[in-house]
Amino acid sequence: MNEIVLETEALTKYYGSTLAVDHIDLKIPRGCICGFVGRNGAGKTTAIKLMLGLLNPTTGSSRLLGCDSSALTSAIRQRIGYVTEGHRLFRWMTIAGLEKFQRSFFPKQWDDKFFADMIEYLNLPKKKKIKHLSNGQRAQVSLALALAPNPELLIMDDPTLGLDAAIRRQFLEGMIELIMRQGRTVLFSSHILGDVERVSDRIVVIDKGVLRANCSLEQFQKAIKKVILSFADSAPDEVNIDGLLHCKRIEKQLELTLIGTDDEKISEWAKSVGAENYHIVKMNLEDQFIEFTAPANHKRLFQWEER
Amino acid sequence: MRFSTLLRKELRECLPWMLLAAIAFLAVGGFFLRAEAYYENIRHYSRLSPGTAVDHYRLTYYSILNVTGPWLFCLSIGLGLVLGIRQFWIPNFTRTWPFLLHRSVSRKTILAAKLTATLIAFVISIGPVWVGFYWYACRQEVFPIPPTFRVFIEGWIFIMLGLVAYLGTALSGLSTAKWYTTKIFGLAFATVIIVTTLSQWTLVGIFTVIAISVAILLSLIFDSFLRREF
Amino acid sequence: MALWIQILPGSSEPIYVQVAEQISKAIARGELASGDKLPAVRKLAAELVINPNTVARAYRRLEQAGLVTTKTGSGTFVSDPKLRRTDAADINMLTERMDTLITRGLNLGLKAQDLISLFERRLAKFGNKSKKQEDRKKRNE
Repeated sequence: MNEIVLETEALTKYYGSTLAVDHIDLKIPRGCICGFVGRNGAGKTTAIKLMLGLLNPTTGSSRLLGCDSSALTSAIRQRIGYVTEGHRLFRWMTIAGLEKFQRSFFPKQWDDKFFADMIEYLNLPKKKKIKHLSNGQRAQVSLALALAPNPELLIMDDPTLGLDAAIRRQFLEGMIELIMRQGRTVLFSSHILGDVERVSDRIVVIDKGVLRANCSLEQFQKAIKKVILSFADSAPDEVNIDGLLHCKRIEKQLELTLIGTDDEKISEWAKSVGAENYHIVKMNLEDQFIEFTAPANHKRLFQWEER
Repeated sequence: MRFSTLLRKELRECLPWMLLAAIAFLAVGGFFLRAEAYYENIRHYSRLSPGTAVDHYRLTYYSILNVTGPWLFCLSIGLGLVLGIRQFWIPNFTRTWPFLLHRSVSRKTILAAKLTATLIAFVISIGPVWVGFYWYACRQEVFPIPPTFRVFIEGWIFIMLGLVAYLGTALSGLSTAKWYTTKIFGLAFATVIIVTTLSQWTLVGIFTVIAISVAILLSLIFDSFLRREF
Repeated sequence: MALWIQILPGSSEPIYVQVAEQISKAIARGELASGDKLPAVRKLAAELVINPNTVARAYRRLEQAGLVTTKTGSGTFVSDPKLRRTDAADINMLTERMDTLITRGLNLGLKAQDLISLFERRLAKFGNKSKKQEDRKKRNE
């Protein structure tokens, strides 16, 4: 069960002198849905294209299903589904034409019935050309094309960008449906934390090309919390507590965002700095993500060292 | 099976342009062949005094087929440019490269399908029209001066130059460099080859230049397609 | 028996906690009686469009709380209330929560009697639990 299906080693990509992906070491085990999140321009698309061998790494390497990304064989590619950013398909082809085109690359895997059912369920006009479809419909076609060959590893580059809630839900359903089959793995990048929270059991956070987190969603949600401490006269000048992300002073209060600090440590620290009282506030995933990737302001009290 | 699927896709993308080229050549060439060229032919023929030994090539020069040659040249180069742009530039803009490239075939096969499609597009669009014109011009009962076989070959040389233009456009399209650096190379190289060929006289010379340049362009295209980032 | 669970992504409660809480509420209200089978993990996951591992985690949480038991191969069932352990820690937890509520209520100016009647009214919402179970027993007989 703990077989690694996607692995990168110090994967790095420079565009000219711009560093897009910075020494990413990633391991994704088989059987999970992995939400790949990061702010705009964090390097998600670049990382995905590097993994798929569409871009060449400056240094480092990556492997999909045990095969080096720069030399993915046809047999390996056949086992990997890829939904491209913006669902770019051949515009002049009809849905039926695209189906025929795509099917011939998956001689034994293609599930005709699944595709037909899905087209019917989504109420897509089979004879219409891609260029005459709406963005949402094009995305739906792209999803059906990716799921019909029943890929072992499905990689989707921001598949729900700009889609309405109903179509986004269909993507989530598709992922759940796929993951229920034995041994499938999904990696999808997204900006919608609610979607990630809903279907992922693993989260990968990348920020400015650097891998910031790669853990179970549960761990991530448990790790980041906010603590509000109140002081009788004034908050201490120096805040040195393990796992400090951000620190804000509001008069006699201190608002700390912490990562990976357990409650006992917080209580100890609160006592040691003489806080009158303190309480721990639970955060939702979106706030956690924002706090986690917000640039640390070094002019403030502390300098947070990345771990 | 996979190759033929790819080939069908590429051919379908070439189809409007090859039809357009064939129809344009048929219309324009046919017009000159029927109307103007006929009188040209008669005029030059009538200038020859009876019994003069006629330099066969000079006759050919005045042959009616010669009038359509420039059109074939232009259309062939034009078709080459358009197909090169369609196959190697448009996907950059429509961003369909990732969708095309991530599939269970090697990049080599994908490229081979594109090149084969173009070859077929040239051979079955303006090629047959040219053959038809040659056959038509050879009818002595209509045209007193028949074209020589060399004129027919020169037509095919024009078609090959169209392929050179195509390969040059393809190479430029595949280049990710800046215009003022190496991106222009493909087009510039093709232009030089075309000019060189036109100034060549012997057929052997012409074919040698074309063969060498096509070999160079093909190897550069394969090299950059296999290594390029998409 | 219809189990109606609503997922709120973006809440500060993780989804597995939301699922577990809603099921435990359904058990407390008697909508799920002891011996009832919970939906299969995969079925519930597909229905709610959440990760199957999240559902499994919610079920584990309920199991740890003693509300359900998992029989290998046949599924997860609501356990018999008589067999549920209530230890001192649970009582402590309840006492603390009640203290908080009572403090709030008194600070709002409510009288002891008001609080008691409020408590009773709320309890009535859960009150038909035993009745439902009796009905079920009768039917089974």
